[in-house]
Amino acid sequence: MVRYGMIIDLNRCIGCRSCAVVCKIVNSQPPGTWWQRVETVGSNEHMVPVGEYPNLSEVFLPIPCMHCENAPCVDVCPVGATWQREDGLVLVDFERCIGCRYCITACPYGVRQFNWQDPDENFKQGFERSGFEENWFAEGDYKYGYPKDHRTDDGRLVYTKTRPRGVVEKCTFCVQFVDQGIAPACVRGCPGNARIFGDLDDPGSEISKTLKDRAAFRLLEELGTEPKVFYIPPARKEGRGGVRYGEKI
Amino acid sequence: MNVTRRDFVKLCAFGAISTGIASRYFRVASSKSSGSDEIKLVRSTCSPNCTGACAYHAMVYKGRITSLIQAADYPEPEYNPRGCLKGQSMVNLIYGPDRLKKPLIRVGERGEGKFKAVSWDEALDYAADKLAEIMKKYGPESIALSIQVPGTGYVHKGAAIRLASMFGWSVLHGYTMNGDLPAFWSQTFGVQTEEFESLEWINSKYIAIFGSNLLVTRLPDAKFLSIAKEKGAKVIMVDMNFTPTAAKADEWIQINPSTDAALALGIVNVIIEQKLYDEDFIKTYTDMPLLVRLDNNKRLRAYEVKDLKDEAERLKKEIPEYRDLFVVYDINKGGFKIVNPESLERDFEPALEGEFEVELIDGKRVKVKPVFQLVKELVTEDYTPEKVAEIITPPERDKTEYTHMIRRIAWEMATTKPLHIVYGASNYQWFHGDLKGRALSLIVALTGNIGKPGAGISTYAGQFKIRWPLGMWWLFKGRKPNWVTYLLWMNREYRQSEEFKKYNRETPYPENDVKAFVFGWNNPFDQHNMANRLKEMAKSGELEFILAIDFQATTSTKWADVVLPGVAWYEKWELTATILHPYVQMQQPAIEPLFECMQEIWIFKELAKKLVERWNDEELKAQIADFYPDSALFIREEEARKNGSWSLKLAREIADEASLKATELMLGKHDLTKEITLDRLLKEGAVRLNINAPKNRQIPFWEQIHEKKPFPPPSFPASLAKTARFVKSGRIEFYKEEDVFIDFGETLPVHKEPFIDTEYRVNPEAKNKYRYAFITRNALYRVHSTHSNNITMLELQDFRPRVWMNPKTAQEKGIKPGDLVEVYNDRGKVKGYAVLDPGIHPSVIIFEQGWWSRYLRGDSYNTLTYPWVKAVHLAYFVPGIWEPTTVWNECACDVRKV
Repeated sequence: MVRYGMIIDLNRCIGCRSCAVVCKIVNSQPPGTWWQRVETVGSNEHMVPVGEYPNLSEVFLPIPCMHCENAPCVDVCPVGATWQREDGLVLVDFERCIGCRYCITACPYGVRQFNWQDPDENFKQGFERSGFEENWFAEGDYKYGYPKDHRTDDGRLVYTKTRPRGVVEKCTFCVQFVDQGIAPACVRGCPGNARIFGDLDDPGSEISKTLKDRAAFRLLEELGTEPKVFYIPPARKEGRGGVRYGEKI
Repeated sequence: MNVTRRDFVKLCAFGAISTGIASRYFRVASSKSSGSDEIKLVRSTCSPNCTGACAYHAMVYKGRITSLIQAADYPEPEYNPRGCLKGQSMVNLIYGPDRLKKPLIRVGERGEGKFKAVSWDEALDYAADKLAEIMKKYGPESIALSIQVPGTGYVHKGAAIRLASMFGWSVLHGYTMNGDLPAFWSQTFGVQTEEFESLEWINSKYIAIFGSNLLVTRLPDAKFLSIAKEKGAKVIMVDMNFTPTAAKADEWIQINPSTDAALALGIVNVIIEQKLYDEDFIKTYTDMPLLVRLDNNKRLRAYEVKDLKDEAERLKKEIPEYRDLFVVYDINKGGFKIVNPESLERDFEPALEGEFEVELIDGKRVKVKPVFQLVKELVTEDYTPEKVAEIITPPERDKTEYTHMIRRIAWEMATTKPLHIVYGASNYQWFHGDLKGRALSLIVALTGNIGKPGAGISTYAGQFKIRWPLGMWWLFKGRKPNWVTYLLWMNREYRQSEEFKKYNRETPYPENDVKAFVFGWNNPFDQHNMANRLKEMAKSGELEFILAIDFQATTSTKWADVVLPGVAWYEKWELTATILHPYVQMQQPAIEPLFECMQEIWIFKELAKKLVERWNDEELKAQIADFYPDSALFIREEEARKNGSWSLKLAREIADEASLKATELMLGKHDLTKEITLDRLLKEGAVRLNINAPKNRQIPFWEQIHEKKPFPPPSFPASLAKTARFVKSGRIEFYKEEDVFIDFGETLPVHKEPFIDTEYRVNPEAKNKYRYAFITRNALYRVHSTHSNNITMLELQDFRPRVWMNPKTAQEKGIKPGDLVEVYNDRGKVKGYAVLDPGIHPSVIIFEQGWWSRYLRGDSYNTLTYPWVKAVHLAYFVPGIWEPTTVWNECACDVRKV
């Protein structure tokens, strides 16, 4: 059985937030909604270092949904709207979600977002904050995002361009693409080649091989959520005075 | 002060919107939604002025682009996927509220933004009337044209130059206008600029980055730094400020602002003292062995030497006029020897050190020394690690530690090969930036790190190099445009100064000044409004006509008299070939142009046609059908006009055909594009240029080092005769002997402190009043000012501009994080919200360039900057290659809480 997972190599991550942006556009997230975020660890401002000279550091951390094996959000959903598919994807059925938001409280990674209002309202407010005239955006106007609805084999609605008010949404590992054999947008859109996506159960897959060869960690492992997103930690730097000479000097 | 959205609207009041023609952009756009239920992917390339030219797939559904993602189809898999957050969210601009819909003619005051929407004919006739009037009154060279980076659009930007060439308008070279020209390249290597393709970075074992924030400014290439490290390279970052790139580097070396030349010369001191240099390399490829006369500081010419005169006279006839015959002291021969400037095959064993006496033809005996000896004396006297540490060590840091560091870094750089130095714009966009580049080049030359895989020096800001000669399309029947230097236009005082009169040899300036400004792909009223001069010229009427072409309403279109709506990439056929990666690619239309927007080739063709009617040149009148690459296309459209079958749709179809014809015209004519055809580009996506190096890799100076061809390689479109005279010896030149270099003490690279020759010279009080350097760096969220209005990018910045400073600066000024602060000097001001950043040098204030005025309460951050002109940049004139170049960072300021 396929079981999808992802590796994010923090050595390769350049903090550019392309993953978050391509995710937002492809998955039609209105202003105010982010399925994925990239932050600078320990800093209030992205790309501002922490520490004191000379030991300043900037480590960038992208955080998508972890698609936990032991997902707290699945456990608390009273109506079975959030579930884990056989291939390991944790999804939300927009037609079954009642908007109780227990899952948002339960998720230790803070990746779930709630549609408090019609997404058109978000666009209106977003453009207002951007300094545009109030009434330029109207219902039915252009909105970015994958155009077609996507349902799982058993007919559950897991992607729709305009999300109904009152449902919870989150990263789906781009289920609409994965079901067509295409990798998630954040993997295809990462200019740093920081991400590997694939089948954790296939020992020959790139992701399995990489996990065998390299030390990886998961976020908040101690909670027992068993995330399927793995991180390769930043390598120790050579630091002052260190130099790796080639064979020839 | 708390600014509400309403204040924003009040301040910017975009007339196009408020005059009732544009409030419902998306309603009209939605009428474009059509077609089947199928999802289509169209491969094109993103092409703003980052010049990444990254391949994208546009997902098209019912006639609209729903999303964009990197195509990831480059033949070398390492390059995939090229692209970044801006390209991915480009739909926000294509379908954004600032999208222009129709041609506009100004009805309010300039800058007020009040326009009336008119028909294409009305707008074009109006513009042509004004332009023709100015051409007649002041001469065609009084019209200045700016198109920014040409490589991002050979067809449509080429059409603009074609128009300029017809009438002899003056073109503003974007490279120097933007300050991206690293002047040391022409001074040292005789080229416009050179750089490794980023795939080559992984062949280096030591990468030393001097002031280039690659992780933010070269997003699609940044990963190659990581890969280089994985393969065992050491990466060091020398910068006054900590950056994401410094975070990735093994070592960050913080130095005082604009002191890189001192550090480089300190490193050179150690390399020479410890004899770590590659003697054979410098004897063969550089001017190090050439002799310099101590009596007049000029190089010794062979025909000045009594014993060499006859041979020199004979050889002089065999070499091109742009070369000269210089002399070495040949140890084997035990006498003076003439160096062949046309080959780097070495048939002599020159002395690098010592002093010699030579008898001239008039019997006078003069002392001479090899350039190497002079360099050695210079660094031994002035740039010992101890002296350099005095210059570069930031306040409150240990100078002894810096002294040790200089010795260690020098040793590492000299012994870990291949070495690659990246020389960035934060470093060279200073008044004495060229000196730093010359000093850094010394390191790679002394250690023989040039022209080999992973070994060299690169600059990555501004990518203006033309890949191959394009005159067949860019120049109308061989006619040539004129040129005007932006800094001279902005700086009348300098133009009238004694210094300018004394040193200017060939830099042209329109006799009757610049009277009209035509620009496209460009937002100069934010980006180039130095000391507020551009806006003042527009306000005063000194600038008599302003014509803007863009697909969006920007700050600058607001200042124009006529605005013509062009198209976004994804709406046209276009040929791109930028220079960080060596591929030729096509843009293809994913959607039809929105509203009444038109492909630029058509706009310039129409303008040309209407100008010819108003201009007294019978030859041009007879030839006008040839503006399109195939006159049949021109005639077809004219006939449709006559018989009433003309429509915007037909004009677009013809313009598309013309764009493809122009593409074909430019391909396959030069060795570099041999066998590259339109068909191949459409089939294969990206096709590599035929660069003369193994695997066609972009390794600068491969031919010079391996085939012993003299420097420089050509810099298109300039002829070799124009650029080779910069390095008359055919070698890499560290000694510059033109009078202006001698007068300013810059015959060899030296360190000069910032502001002394600029701010403090003009106003001695500035030294106490404005103690901070105003650095306007590039933002992660914009490509210069493109994407300033991108809602997704704005959201990532909390919709507000920031000002970065060291916590100590903030403490001194009583500023807390998030406070609204004003950065100012005598010339101007800008406001932003304070961010305290321990990585910022205590004498630096940072603002991120590219914010449109409407996000800055109408202010312009370039009101603080000034169009300084450095005299050595007047020694020659080749547009965009040797020309005065903007120095954004040479700007002193202060900061206060609002």
